[in-house]
Amino acid sequence: MLLFRGQHWDRGLSPHELKATLDKLTAWFEGLNERGKVKASQPLGAQGRIISGANGGLVVDGPFAESKEAVGGYLVLQAVGLKEAVEIARSMPTLKYGLTVEVRPILGECPTFARHAEVIERAKDQLWAAAAA
Amino acid sequence: MSTSTVKSDYLLLFRGNVWDRGLSPAQLQKVVSDWMAWFERLKREGKCLDGNPLEEEGKVVSGKQGRTVADGPFAESKEAIGGYFYLQVADENEAIEIARQCPGLEYGSVVEVRPVADTCSIKQRAEEYSQGQLAGTMA
Repeated sequence: MLLFRGQHWDRGLSPHELKATLDKLTAWFEGLNERGKVKASQPLGAQGRIISGANGGLVVDGPFAESKEAVGGYLVLQAVGLKEAVEIARSMPTLKYGLTVEVRPILGECPTFARHAEVIERAKDQLWAAAAA
Repeated sequence: MSTSTVKSDYLLLFRGNVWDRGLSPAQLQKVVSDWMAWFERLKREGKCLDGNPLEEEGKVVSGKQGRTVADGPFAESKEAIGGYFYLQVADENEAIEIARQCPGLEYGSVVEVRPVADTCSIKQRAEEYSQGQLAGTMA
């Protein structure tokens, strides 16, 4: 999964530069798509909410739109190893404007859960038992 | 109650991947079975279309032509994204309600709720520019 971080890389670009960059970006994406590398990809709306605390008691607006860390969109690559995923990330045309791409392998099993394999097995057994009852 | 059948897509991003540290085996077992049951229920209800954990270690690519490739994010970060759910629900309120049910919340996990957009906001700004330009030339 590629996570695109930084939502305001377009600031300071002239309309002409912006159009040229977006055309490159579209071509980049279409190229990946044609090669069958794209499983899913969406931009995210800038406004969201951050939920925390017991029972989700705390709901605040976020993330800060101006943040360089904020995730602006994502792309799930199809059957691609980390090395190829990094190569694809490096070929993204908007990197030179300060956008950052985080490359994260998608797992079948949650690593938090994997740290406690026995607990998970017991939990699964319980779940199946409950489902069968 | 709304009778609208229009659905909106939201992404839940689960932040923090060390919230399980310090939990007793019993607490851990409960949170894990609650989490799996929660995911299965949402899938059954057709509200969660997809969900995946992410490997803790990845790479962060930045700079011109992606010349900087660093390890990351830091696994020990409270901000790091540990996984996601893709929701299809009636509206933002329903997405928030679902996020509030996350069993990891009471142990410090944080859930970011983000609408999935049809068009990239930057593309939209570019279109507004060119429309503005067009209006300028016609004036």
